[in-house]
Amino acid sequence: MPAEIQHPSVIAAAGAVVAWFLLLLAMIFRTRVPDITPGPPTSDLGPESPAIVDYVTANGRLSDEAASATLLDLAARGILRIEEIGPELSLVRLRAHDPPEVATLPEYERLVYDHVRTLARDRVVATGALAEGARDLGEWWRRFRKAVLGEARAAGLFMPRWSKPQMSLLSTAAFVPTALVWVATSQVTTTERGEDDPRWAYAFGTLIAMGAIIGRLRGNRPTERGRPVIAAWLGVRDHLARNPRLNEQPAAAVTVWGRHLAYAAALGLAGRAVVSLPVSLPADDQRAWSDYGGLWHRVSVRYPRPRTSALIHLLRLRCRPPVQVLFAALAVGVIVFVFPGLLLRFLLPAFGIPETLARLAQLAVALLVAGPPLLRAVIDLATPTTVDGQVVRLRTTNFETFSNEKKGLDHWMALDDGRRHREVTAHGLPGELYDRLAEGDVVRVGVAAKTGWVHSGQVLQPSRYRAERTAPPSPA
Amino acid sequence: MAIIAVALFGILVILVIVGVVFLAMTYNRLVRRRNEVDNAWAQIDVQLKRRFDLIPNLVETVRGYAAHERQTLEAVVAARAGAINATGPVQRAQAEGALTGALKSLFAVAEAYPELKANQNFLGLQEELSATESRIGYTRQYYNDAVLTYNNAIQTVPTSLFAGSLGFRAREYFQTPGDQRGPVQVRF
Repeated sequence: MPAEIQHPSVIAAAGAVVAWFLLLLAMIFRTRVPDITPGPPTSDLGPESPAIVDYVTANGRLSDEAASATLLDLAARGILRIEEIGPELSLVRLRAHDPPEVATLPEYERLVYDHVRTLARDRVVATGALAEGARDLGEWWRRFRKAVLGEARAAGLFMPRWSKPQMSLLSTAAFVPTALVWVATSQVTTTERGEDDPRWAYAFGTLIAMGAIIGRLRGNRPTERGRPVIAAWLGVRDHLARNPRLNEQPAAAVTVWGRHLAYAAALGLAGRAVVSLPVSLPADDQRAWSDYGGLWHRVSVRYPRPRTSALIHLLRLRCRPPVQVLFAALAVGVIVFVFPGLLLRFLLPAFGIPETLARLAQLAVALLVAGPPLLRAVIDLATPTTVDGQVVRLRTTNFETFSNEKKGLDHWMALDDGRRHREVTAHGLPGELYDRLAEGDVVRVGVAAKTGWVHSGQVLQPSRYRAERTAPPSPA
Repeated sequence: MAIIAVALFGILVILVIVGVVFLAMTYNRLVRRRNEVDNAWAQIDVQLKRRFDLIPNLVETVRGYAAHERQTLEAVVAARAGAINATGPVQRAQAEGALTGALKSLFAVAEAYPELKANQNFLGLQEELSATESRIGYTRQYYNDAVLTYNNAIQTVPTSLFAGSLGFRAREYFQTPGDQRGPVQVRF
């Protein structure tokens, strides 16, 4: 065993770390959550909202279903409506004027309602479009979660896992092993002038690791008052689980099932309804929803194939400005004409093919490679096109450049121009234009359609999310 | 010679089987598309009937406050009757367009009667009609999308070569002239 490890200061530091972990284990044991036995199956719903039920029955973890369940609950309470129009189209319809109940909604319900209201066109939004909107989804979810947790705590159902004294004890105790690690490192290491001092690194490393463990284990647990409430809701879950048809019900079935469907969604028993209401999910890259033209409709988005290497990037010659494509195609044409073309020209006569034909073959190969992009670029330069439409997707993708250290960034924009075929191909665009746009904006863009490039654009009407953010505050 | 004849016969049989399978699959696909169109048309029908049912109540409510607006009320009643009697997507779309126009006139008239505007029954009917109008817009879009898919299926090669002889005919869109081009406003 190395002598450094037997040094008393190292042994003391190791002992302090072990002691801290023992303290942690003791506190984990003391604050452990005993299993809660479900109450008798019942259809009686308590006063807690579906989001709270989702949180408390999942042991303090909020699932994505909570937001969908909240929307279903708003529909069940008549604050808004969910209607089925066809097999693949359902609508969330807000009342002509916000009902008085909206003013008293708790914050997390208000977040869901406001999301729907902001997206809605003529007070209507397609259920599939609930994932749309240029919002910061991470921030939105953080606020939703915080509001649900706040209400669960305010109702006395949940409390922090560790009390303030317990947290203070754990945090303060962490400084003892930290200090001893610093001392031990000082004793067993020697630092030459100019070398980094390892003592602080070890000490801070120990402190940060302990802080991370505390942060990881810190959470919430049910209170004495909360346990019977959770048991009752687990009884409701058992009752609802007896009806497997709930899992097949569409969201619009809330008009028949009422709040039971909302609670089934919160308890993970209404899969189809939840999937059709993607309130807290990111928007799909390939399937977008647009309300350009006045009515919500689905738009399929295709992206040009990802460029896996710089060479392919150069040879594909698409989604670049037409002038760039023109010169690149000419360059590629010359290269192909000179190298493989020359080879062909000297190889073919060896097989008895006349030199004239060999020269033609050389030219044909060069034209075959460079001709299509050249033609596309010429057409785009000769016929500049302006298109009006709604931005339905803005995405970026990485591609490798010749330099291994540097990765390039492609910017993509998919535009719904109102045509009936509902399929669009994303175009490339410059980064500075990309930064000025948001999904949902109605724009007029200059497009090089054949080379797949958007070179200019202006926002005719900002997306409702953007308009909401930039609108002056309404008078109190 | 016998081997060649057997081989040719075998190829012929395989070609016939492939052809029959292709025909059956195409036929089934077209039937599914046609059923989607019929289903979409049924959805439109439901919403149109819902609107027809709401209009008499609306007319009676308005009559209670604005009885002397007889011309406007009669125009709505006549447009409703015309829409009920219309057949086929094109004729029906035109009749529905006329009914929508008549309803807009009715709601414009209502603006001049504050008591009528404050009537809860009238407000409820107005909201319900507005929602129904919006649903008609969406069902129309759904129907037209289904018709587009179906018509594309029967009018493109190779299906177009035999779709007609199997009884598949192109369907008409449900739209009035000028529809689908500009932003649609569905509120009264």
